[in-house]
Amino acid sequence: MSRMVLAFRCLFDVLLHGRLSDQAATALRLGTASAAPASAAAPPVRPGEAALQLLAILQRDSRLVDFLMEDISGYSDDQVGAAVRELHDQCRQSLTRYVRLVPVIDAVENARTTVPGGTADPSAVKFIGNVPAQPPSAGILRHKGWRAASIELPPAPRDGAAVIAPAEIEVEE
Amino acid sequence: MQYVIGIDLGTTNSALACAPLSALGDPHHLPSAHLMAIPQLVSPGEVRDEPLLPSFLYLPGPADFPEGSLALPWDQKPDAIAGSLAQKRGAENPGRLVSSAKSWLSHTGVDRTAAILPVNAPDGVRKLSPVEASLRYLEHLKRAWNSRHEDAPFEEQQILVTVPASFDAVARDLTLRAAEEAGCRDVVLLEEPQAAFYAWIERHPDWRERVEVGDLILVIDIGGGTTDFTLIAVTENAGELALERIAVGEHILLGGDNIDLALARFIEQQLAPKTRLDMLQLHALWQQCRGAKETLLAEGSAQKDAPVTILGRGTGVVGGTIKAKLRRDDLERILLDGFFPAVSSDDMPQRVRRVALQEIGLPYAADAAVTKHLAQFLRQHASTAQRGAVRRGPSGLACPTHVLFNGGVLRANLIRDRLMDIVHGWLTWEGMPPAVPLTGDDLVHAVARGAAYYGLARHGRGVRIRGGIARTYYVGIETAMPSVPGIPAPLKALTVAQFGMEEGSSASIPDREFGLVVGEPAEFRFFSSSTRKDDPPGSMVEDVREELQELTPMEVSLTDEGGAGGVVPVSFETVVTETGVLQLWCVARDGRRWKLEFNVRERIAPA
Repeated sequence: MSRMVLAFRCLFDVLLHGRLSDQAATALRLGTASAAPASAAAPPVRPGEAALQLLAILQRDSRLVDFLMEDISGYSDDQVGAAVRELHDQCRQSLTRYVRLVPVIDAVENARTTVPGGTADPSAVKFIGNVPAQPPSAGILRHKGWRAASIELPPAPRDGAAVIAPAEIEVEE
Repeated sequence: MQYVIGIDLGTTNSALACAPLSALGDPHHLPSAHLMAIPQLVSPGEVRDEPLLPSFLYLPGPADFPEGSLALPWDQKPDAIAGSLAQKRGAENPGRLVSSAKSWLSHTGVDRTAAILPVNAPDGVRKLSPVEASLRYLEHLKRAWNSRHEDAPFEEQQILVTVPASFDAVARDLTLRAAEEAGCRDVVLLEEPQAAFYAWIERHPDWRERVEVGDLILVIDIGGGTTDFTLIAVTENAGELALERIAVGEHILLGGDNIDLALARFIEQQLAPKTRLDMLQLHALWQQCRGAKETLLAEGSAQKDAPVTILGRGTGVVGGTIKAKLRRDDLERILLDGFFPAVSSDDMPQRVRRVALQEIGLPYAADAAVTKHLAQFLRQHASTAQRGAVRRGPSGLACPTHVLFNGGVLRANLIRDRLMDIVHGWLTWEGMPPAVPLTGDDLVHAVARGAAYYGLARHGRGVRIRGGIARTYYVGIETAMPSVPGIPAPLKALTVAQFGMEEGSSASIPDREFGLVVGEPAEFRFFSSSTRKDDPPGSMVEDVREELQELTPMEVSLTDEGGAGGVVPVSFETVVTETGVLQLWCVARDGRRWKLEFNVRERIAPA
């Protein structure tokens, strides 16, 4: 995008829609609604690095990856339940420590709600059912949605980021 | 100096509280102390603020952590790490973990300045002395403080470090030495139960209406590793209420960790017969039992049981999961029958078994019944307390009017109620009215907060508890007798400092002179007692072995200044410094003085 085009693009975006379009925001290297605010301040990360780091944290604190990769079809509900209770507790603690999750629309589910701001951003609000030609401004809230209000991951490890959990070797006497 | 800083250097957790001196305006209203969150490594590469600094030190090896992942805001490459990560990693590799340094600091059976920790370190791993470990925790706190207060360096603030009331003169001296080496220039020691009481006063500015002259306050402090008892009497001085610490208990290595371990052992026995737990699973079981205990003991909890789950090892989580339950009635049975049994006030704890050859280790309490230790405390100290302020029953038992609880274990209502019931039973037997529990809040951080309050009190604001030294101290003297081969000459003890001798005072013992050879080190055996409070300085105790505890010897070397040589007759002088440390001096007739130093280098056999 040339500078002139970008400048006009921004002008019209703001005049007509009251916000920058995603393309303009990307061209200006601004965070978009779906991107995490914290990552804007952090040094540039390689794609997927933060995701791997979060996986590694959830594995370290709650063994989530072990659980997801295990074939649990052969175990009784009782056995699965016992493990999950413990795992869920720790996973939740660790997730909420690093990522602050808030609903996209903070209202009562299964009750009528209006779309905040009047018009809907498709990445934040999804209409389902008998949706008219023009997106409506209200409907029944079936799912509140989740949004990361902030992400505060510790500094990424310098190397070996692809390792989600180290192998463990016990030394016996 | 802008702040007073109170440091609770605990056996398992340390805390730091501070109060600004600038806020000292209204003499009747002290500024409140607040806790400082302590930045520490919680995982490799992750520094986070936590309310407490776990008192664990890990000595990382070359294969322990990825390069650069141990950086702290103030040190890019620390050679030892303190706090949460040290505790976690230490569970996986105990050979590099220093824990319970404070208990080692008060252990008379070892050389406390020798590099002995970690006890089970493999060959090639550096070791530290208990003094150096304490120094490392203090250094961490100092640097954490300095990273937050650039305009008020730690070294220039007034530092209050708390020690167990049961710490002897040697352990206090070593703690002070560690604090000074950590860079504290202005440091004062304070006993933990007193600090807990100061925290209560801080929270209750109307405390003068809650107690009256003649009252006796029992402080019960049960932390992670130790149990400490103290009696504080409410007296009168110039028409104002005054407080006097009149008794402290023995050093009892018994606390919350013992309870969690007992629960873990119990659950382990309940598991399927062929279950094998590895080292990490045992550790996980211990943590889980602690969690389950806290769930069941939480206020308002009505659960009948709490799950104890140990996830499978290896990549199979669900398959290897072992589950058990801690049932409320089992928990209550273990707590109430094992640790807090209903005993009569003359039920004494079992004596420590002494084996001639002991493995080097901490002298854990032989009897886990906290209530028996309490009974012993109230009985022993009532029989010798001389100051008239002690309320006692017909049988001689000290009868408290109030009970103040402190320490993590006593957060549980169940345990507090049990202790109150038992004390009530004892008081009823003595024909005394029931004692009133003093509700403190935040039983885990009270000591650090109370220490900061005391720091303000030292600046002339607020009440101070008068206490003085917590034991009577003696120097051993061999009796002059014809020597018999194989039988050591009988030993007598000369009282050099009496219980309650106050900070900033001195006492001389002029009648006894010793001839010391110039240029040669002279060593004195050193003893203490926390129960004999009536021995005035200069008095002799005939039977040393019965009632006195032997401490580290003290030594002095007379320097040959005039070149005259020969023997110099000296007498003893005792000084208790303003910071609460006991010093012994040899004084010659011409006024020259030499200080006796603790000789902790030599290993001491139990007396």
